[in-house]
Amino acid sequence: MSRSRFPRLPRRAWLPLLVVVACVALGSTASTQRQRFYRDDPISREPDSQDASATALHDIKSIYEMTYNLFVTADHKPSGERAKNINTIDEVPDSNWFTNRIGTTPITPEQMTRGANVGAPPDPSKWILTREKTAGVHPGFTARDAKGETWFLQFDPPYYDEGATGAVAVASRMFWALGYNQVELFLSTFDPKKVEFDPKATIRRPSGKRTRFDRDDMNAILDRVAKKPDGTYRVVAGRLLPGKVLGGYLFQGTRPDDPNDVVPHEHRRDLRALRVFGAWTNLTDLKAANTLDTLVSENGRMVVKHYLQDVGSTFGMCNELYEWDLSYEHFYQGDTTRKRFFSFGFALSPWQTIPYKEYYPSVGKFEGDEFDPKKWKPQTPTTAYMEARGDDAFWAARRIAAFSDELIRAAVKAGQFTDPKAEKYLGDVLIKRRDKILALYLTAINPIVNPRLDASGLTFENAAIAAGVAKGQPTYRASWMLFDNTTGATKPLSTTDSQTTTMAAPAGLPTAPGSYVQVDISADLAAFPTWKQPVKTYFRRTAQGWQLVGLERLPETVPAAQTLQGES
Amino acid sequence: MRICRVFTLLAWVAVLLGSGRTVGAQAQEPSRIGVIEQAQAEKVKTLHPYPVSTGERIMNKVEDITVNGGLHWHPFFENAYRGGGFALGAGYMHHVSSYNLLDVRGSYSIRNYKRAEVEFMAPRMFHRRGKLSLLGGYREATQVGFYGIGTDTDKDDRANYAFDLWYGSAMMTVQPTRRFLTLRGGFELAEWNTKPGEGTAPSVDEVYTPATLPGLDSRITYLHSQGTLGFDWRTAEDYTRRGGFYGVTFHDYTDSDDVFGFQKVDYELIQHFPILRETWAISLRGLIETTWLKGDQEIPYFMLPSLGGGSNLRGYSSWRFRDRNSLLLQGEWRILVNRYMDTAFFYDAGKVTRLTADLDLDGLKHDFGFGVRFHTPISTPLRIDLAKSPEGLAIVFSNSAAF
Repeated sequence: MSRSRFPRLPRRAWLPLLVVVACVALGSTASTQRQRFYRDDPISREPDSQDASATALHDIKSIYEMTYNLFVTADHKPSGERAKNINTIDEVPDSNWFTNRIGTTPITPEQMTRGANVGAPPDPSKWILTREKTAGVHPGFTARDAKGETWFLQFDPPYYDEGATGAVAVASRMFWALGYNQVELFLSTFDPKKVEFDPKATIRRPSGKRTRFDRDDMNAILDRVAKKPDGTYRVVAGRLLPGKVLGGYLFQGTRPDDPNDVVPHEHRRDLRALRVFGAWTNLTDLKAANTLDTLVSENGRMVVKHYLQDVGSTFGMCNELYEWDLSYEHFYQGDTTRKRFFSFGFALSPWQTIPYKEYYPSVGKFEGDEFDPKKWKPQTPTTAYMEARGDDAFWAARRIAAFSDELIRAAVKAGQFTDPKAEKYLGDVLIKRRDKILALYLTAINPIVNPRLDASGLTFENAAIAAGVAKGQPTYRASWMLFDNTTGATKPLSTTDSQTTTMAAPAGLPTAPGSYVQVDISADLAAFPTWKQPVKTYFRRTAQGWQLVGLERLPETVPAAQTLQGES
Repeated sequence: MRICRVFTLLAWVAVLLGSGRTVGAQAQEPSRIGVIEQAQAEKVKTLHPYPVSTGERIMNKVEDITVNGGLHWHPFFENAYRGGGFALGAGYMHHVSSYNLLDVRGSYSIRNYKRAEVEFMAPRMFHRRGKLSLLGGYREATQVGFYGIGTDTDKDDRANYAFDLWYGSAMMTVQPTRRFLTLRGGFELAEWNTKPGEGTAPSVDEVYTPATLPGLDSRITYLHSQGTLGFDWRTAEDYTRRGGFYGVTFHDYTDSDDVFGFQKVDYELIQHFPILRETWAISLRGLIETTWLKGDQEIPYFMLPSLGGGSNLRGYSSWRFRDRNSLLLQGEWRILVNRYMDTAFFYDAGKVTRLTADLDLDGLKHDFGFGVRFHTPISTPLRIDLAKSPEGLAIVFSNSAAF
């Protein structure tokens, strides 16, 4: 007979014990029931609570990624799910991926021209070459300047004089303003006469071995780049990033060795939005090799910082001069392959006939008249690109809307183009493309933004009308409800209508702090029937008044056909 | 009884605790940050390096080799001689210095053609203006077709010959401006040993005699010297949709016995015209080969200019027409299907003549067809052409562009 460490209970003791267990269980249930809004909603910054020191370098190779994306990701069916890194008011909080800048904070033209640059530019009076550049299609070096700082130098190919360097300089400013972590970039000069070679500088040979990097190796690279009449070369110099390099990131899944990376990348709105930002700037080369994760110390903790590192495949910069289909087709598409195969090429695709009325080598094949943001395609599809929904595109379009003509021209100025016509043309095209994106994505779904509830009533704005891409006077309707934050239950209060973006609040709104109201706001304008689908807003009563804590522009899940991929 | 009371008391305490916890939960209401931090803390338990699948590992290796070099074993599909059928082989490359390499390779075809050779390549001479190739090897062909001399031969008159060939050569290519202008020159020492042919067709020695067919059953040692002057502005030699090549090559074949020596000049013109942003390309090629006798020496039958086969008159058998001079005209309408695949309609025409004066457009043999090509930006690893000529259908598998 075995003896237990616990005394045996008499039969009549079981009933009270069950009561104890049930009460504890009920108490637990009550305490863990999921609330809709937490006390700190809406958050403004994603936390990085865990130490990420264990992350290690992982190179994601381009050929595998390209093949996977062309033949596997291309068949991905969008989940239709809402982005998962947004806060409860449909905005992307700051993080080590993204920092709210334009559209949230005023940006001056000077800030735009400066972009991510905070340090001093390189001193090109001497370059000490340390290594060849291996990433990207345009040739370059790794070098130390006269001050001993390490830079990554990239040149222009002869057929894109000032183009490749100008594109990365301009696009970097734009993506910095849009919120992405960017490398500090400066346009500079490279004079072969002022070059020295680090005694330890090596270059990888076809044999696979690294041997001494010498002047002939440098000349081999300079033979393939645009030279200025005075014998020098224009370069764009990227400052070495701080921290330990961990390799690029994928546009799906999470970094399995980073504890703080808990949102699958395809569900990060900032990555989904590259479908729109990419279309605007023609950022066609979306791949891991153009991104970079670094391990840095932040607030005493090692965390991963994510860079959209190389944005040089923008505007009209192609991998080679005669790459006409870029941004119109992925590198491989079954539908266009079949179409051209069976029609012997007579079934034309748009890229085969689109006119480039103006062409500048420093801009390349980039135009705005025929541009259709819905049909724009990167070189290979990414899962984040496929998962983008209307609310992601709307969010992105609002950021683009914050780029005034003046700010766009300030960004373009960073390209330091010799030909003023080229500079003007690039700015003109970006403005045209911006306007097309706004006209498409700000009007595609209910564009009500910035709702506020106070003693004077409910006010909001219409982003499409404010941007001038929708005309007319909608009739706005607000359905007011009491909202139970614990159960999600609602109790209708009233419905109010207005011809303006202001309407009085109905009587009976709660006044107790901690109470909630839900206000569904729709707009009725014949040209835009989708605006009838209300934006759901949620306000919490605080001691100071009403605080916006929730905003839903689209349901949690939409049919795949209603994602950007489904509609394209 | 006492125990029962104790548990009754515990139950009441629990009820109070339960409600108390609810009140406490409101005081310590969970936060959004807390929820995210909890997910991050949970992930700590499952951290692991990036998983790499077998397919990814293999493709990464291929990319490493492509980008960084280091390839040693490689496939080798080149035949010993045209008409040998599908050939399979392998090679082993070894860099003897940063750029210079040695390649030992061999192939074997379904018609028992054999090829084994070793090549030393120095691709970066004269500050990247020159390339040197030193090649030595052995080839054996068992059933090369010979249909007689001239264009008006009958395909049913096929006879076969065989040969083995030992050769060693040195070839230097120089591009003084690193692009466009191409100078090529070199020497080859080759020993040809022709033999009775195998296969279903009769052997040449059953049909001809040394008197009727110069070079029959001969062993000839040639010193072959050659020089090319060319202008090449194609984007790549083995795949391009624009540009052209215009070149003249002079050959001198000196027979060590002064019996079969001759000279030959090749004139080649290739032009690619892109249409509608390279949706299509009209590609044209003209090739004239002319020979001159050295005094009273003869040109052996197997060294005569010829037409027929996968890269010239594609609708005809390999080596279908031979004579002292040849004219080949080819046109392709190449259609872009996607970045890795083209299709093409093609037309070939040509003739062989005894006299250069007869190299005109009269009496051309012709064929036409359709092909599918899988390509990279600079090469054509697989070309499949289906050609139709008056002599029937022919299918071509090749690992290079037609021109």
